[in-house]
Amino acid sequence: MNTNLKISNVTKIYPGCVANDNVSLEFNSGKIYALLGENGAGKSTLVKILSGVIIPDEGKIYLNENNLKLNSPLDAKKNDIGMVFQHFNLFETLSVYENLIIDSNEQREVLREKINTIMRKYNFSIDLNIPVLNLSAGQKQKVEIIRCLIRSPKVLIMDEPTSVLTEQETSELFLSLKKFSEEGILIIYITHKLKEVMELCDEVAVMRRGKLVSVSEIKNENIESLANKMVGQNLKTIKKKKEKSSSDQLINITNLNFISEDPFETNLSNINFSVNRGECLGIAGISGNGQSELFQVLSGEIISDKNSIEFNKNYIGDLNPQERREYLMAFSPEDRLEQAAIPQMAIFENVALNNFKSSNFFNNGLINENKIKEHSKKIISDFNVNTNNIELKSQFLSGGNLQKLIIGRELITSPDLLICFNPTWGLDVGAINYIHETLIKINEQNKSIILISTDTDELLKLSDKISVIHKGKLSKIMDAEEVTSEKLGMLMGGGN
Amino acid sequence: MIIDVNFVGLIIASIMASAVPLILASCGELITERSGVLNLGVEGMMIIGAISGFALMTVTGNLIIAVFGAMLAGVLISTIFAFLTQTLITNHVATGLALTIFGIGISAMIGKNFVGIPGKEFPILFESLKDTIPLLSPILFGHSIVFYFAFALPFITSYFLKKTKIGLIVRAVGDSPESASNQGINVKLVRYACILYGGAMCGLAGAYLSMIYTPQWIENMTGGRGWIALALVVFSTWNPIKILIGAMIFGGLTIIQFHMQAVGVRIPVQFLTALPYIVTIIVLVVISRDSRKIRLSTPSSLGKSFYKDN
Repeated sequence: MNTNLKISNVTKIYPGCVANDNVSLEFNSGKIYALLGENGAGKSTLVKILSGVIIPDEGKIYLNENNLKLNSPLDAKKNDIGMVFQHFNLFETLSVYENLIIDSNEQREVLREKINTIMRKYNFSIDLNIPVLNLSAGQKQKVEIIRCLIRSPKVLIMDEPTSVLTEQETSELFLSLKKFSEEGILIIYITHKLKEVMELCDEVAVMRRGKLVSVSEIKNENIESLANKMVGQNLKTIKKKKEKSSSDQLINITNLNFISEDPFETNLSNINFSVNRGECLGIAGISGNGQSELFQVLSGEIISDKNSIEFNKNYIGDLNPQERREYLMAFSPEDRLEQAAIPQMAIFENVALNNFKSSNFFNNGLINENKIKEHSKKIISDFNVNTNNIELKSQFLSGGNLQKLIIGRELITSPDLLICFNPTWGLDVGAINYIHETLIKINEQNKSIILISTDTDELLKLSDKISVIHKGKLSKIMDAEEVTSEKLGMLMGGGN
Repeated sequence: MIIDVNFVGLIIASIMASAVPLILASCGELITERSGVLNLGVEGMMIIGAISGFALMTVTGNLIIAVFGAMLAGVLISTIFAFLTQTLITNHVATGLALTIFGIGISAMIGKNFVGIPGKEFPILFESLKDTIPLLSPILFGHSIVFYFAFALPFITSYFLKKTKIGLIVRAVGDSPESASNQGINVKLVRYACILYGGAMCGLAGAYLSMIYTPQWIENMTGGRGWIALALVVFSTWNPIKILIGAMIFGGLTIIQFHMQAVGVRIPVQFLTALPYIVTIIVLVVISRDSRKIRLSTPSSLGKSFYKDN
C-alpha cells in the first residue's frame, strides 16, 4: 500500500525566531527522503511537529489525504508515524523489554513474539533482559527502532541518527533503513551530514533559517551543491599544510592509569604518548571508550600521579585545571553547556571564569568588570562570535557561537597546548569550518593540540599523528598520512 | 533463667507493631519517589493523618470513617504539594519542608480540643487463635487489620513496581520524564497520582499511631517517624523489601533499648536512644552496597521539576 504524507503551509514561531516559515512538502513511500539543514534551520522543529511533540501555529498535515490532528506524541503513534529522536527517548534503568512494551496495550506474550520476529527479520541481536544503560549507542538506537516497528508504522522519521554511531553501526543502520523502505515504510531522514544523504537517500529537501530552499533528486546533486544550498553561500574547503613538525617535545605522558570507582566509567590503563610543539595529536574512538576520562585526567579534573604527566619539563600530574592553566595549558571540554560554560551566566562572566593570575580580572577580591568586559569584547571580535551583547546569557548562544567563545577564551592567552574534546560536536558546516581553521592556525603558530574526537573525518583532516582509544587503552601512535578511515574504524572496533 | 517463649513472641509482636507506621509511610513515599518526586512532607502528612483519624473517631465514633478520613486528609494535604510542585513547578525540597511545618502547626491547632480524651478500642483479628501455637501465635494473631495490611504492603509494592504495567509507567516517569512524555505518557497525571497515593499511606500511618498504637492525641506524636520513613526509602535504595527489613531493625532497637533502659544497663541513655538510628542506617548501607543495583533502582529524575514546553 502506498503512503502519502503531505505537510502543508506549516509555520511555527518562537519568540525571536521563526522556526518553520510556511513549509510545504510531500513524501511518498518507497523512497528515502533526506531533510537537510544546518543546526537551527528548522528541520528538528518540523519533524517534532510530525511526531506530535510540538504543535504548529499554522498549517496542516495529511496522511493519505486524511487531515491529522497531532496534539501529542500519542496522536502521531496512533496515526502510524514513528520517530527515533536524536536524543534517545529510552528509560536507562529499565530493561530493554520494559522499554519496548511500555507504550503498547497488547498482551505481553503477543508482544514478545512480535519483538522476536522483528529481531530475527532484521538481524538485530540484543539481550532483552538487561538494562538499557548497558547498551551501546547503536544498540540503543535499535531498541528505539524496534519500538517503532512494533506498531508497524507507515512513516518512520529518523532525527540525526548517526551522530552517536560508529562507521560500522552506521552502515548497518543504512541497510536496515533500505530494507524498511523496500517494505513500504516511508522514511524521512534528518541530518546535516552530506555524505550520508548521498549514500542513503533518494530525494533531498534542504532547509535554511526555517524556510524550505529546495527539493531535488539525489542523482541531480553532489556534496558541493548540497553544502552550498545548505549554507547559502559557497564554502571554501580547508586543507592543512602538513609540515615536518619540530622534534621539540612539549608534553609527555608516561604510564598513566586511572581506575574509576564508578562502574559506568572506563578505566584507563597504561597510557603513553608525547606531543611535540606545533603538532596535533588526534585521538579517535567510539564514544564511551575512555575519552571523557582521558580528557579529565589531562585537564586535571581528575588528579593523577605527579610524574605521569610532564609538560614543558615540569611534572604536573597532581595539579588541578587552574594550576595547569598557569603552565599554559588550555581546555575545551565536550559538553559546552555543562562543563565549559555556565548557561545562566552572561558571556563576560563566563570569560572571567577562566581566571589567571596574570589576567587581573580581580582586584583585592573585587571583580574588575571593565577589564573583563574589555577582554570579552576582544574575544568576541577576534573569534567571530555572532553577538554584540556581552551581557547575554551564554545559554542563548547557538552551539557554534558558544564553541567559538569557549575556544576564544582558551586561546586568547596563547597557550602552548590546547586539549579539546569533540570541539565540533553538533555544529553546522559553517561553524565547523571556522573551528577547523582556528585549530590549524594554532599549529601554524607552533602551538600544540590534543584533539579527542569521535569524528574520523575531522581527525584525518587536522591531525599530524593519530592514535585510537579502545576500552581505555591507546593504540600505537600512527602518522596521520599513513592512516585511512577504514583502518581507524577497525581499531575503534577493537581490531588490529 | 527460663525464658517464656510467649514473652519472646510478645516482644517480637511489639517490635512489628512499632514498625507498622514506618512501613506504611515509607512504602507510600517510595511510590512517590519512584515517579521522580521528592516529598519531604512525610512527617507533616503523617501528623495530619494522626489528628484527622483521632478527631473523626472521637466525633463520629465510626472507626471506618476515621481510618478512611485520615487517608483522605493525607490525600488532601498532598494535593497541595502536588499542585505546587507539578502545576506551579515549585521546588520539591522547599515545598516538602513547608508541608511538614504546615502539618505540624495545623494538627496542633485542631488537636487542642482532643488532648486528654481517651481513644477507642480498635478491633483485632484472630483473637481466638492467640494462644494456640507457642511463640508464633502472639506474632501472627490478634492484630488490627492495618497491621496485616502494613506487612503485606512491601510485597504488594514490589509486585506492583516489577510486574504491572502501571508500575512500569511509574518507574519510567521517574527514570526520564522527558522520554515518558515523548512516549505519550501523561507525566503530570502519573506524578499527581503517586503523590496522592503517598499522602494516603502517610495518612494511614498517622492514623495507626493515634488510633491503634497509642490511642490518644498528643501534640507532635509522630515524633520524627516521618523523617525516619524518608531515610528508610533512601537507604533501602528504593526497595520495598529492604524497607521492611530497615523498619523492623529500627522498631526492634527502639523497643530493646527501652527494655535496656528499664533494666538499668550501664550505657548512657543518649547513646541507647541514638542506637536505632545509627544501626538502621549502617545495616541498610551495608546491604545496599552494590552500586550497579543502586543505579538501577534510583529514580534518575528524583526531585527535578518537569515541565513541557511547546
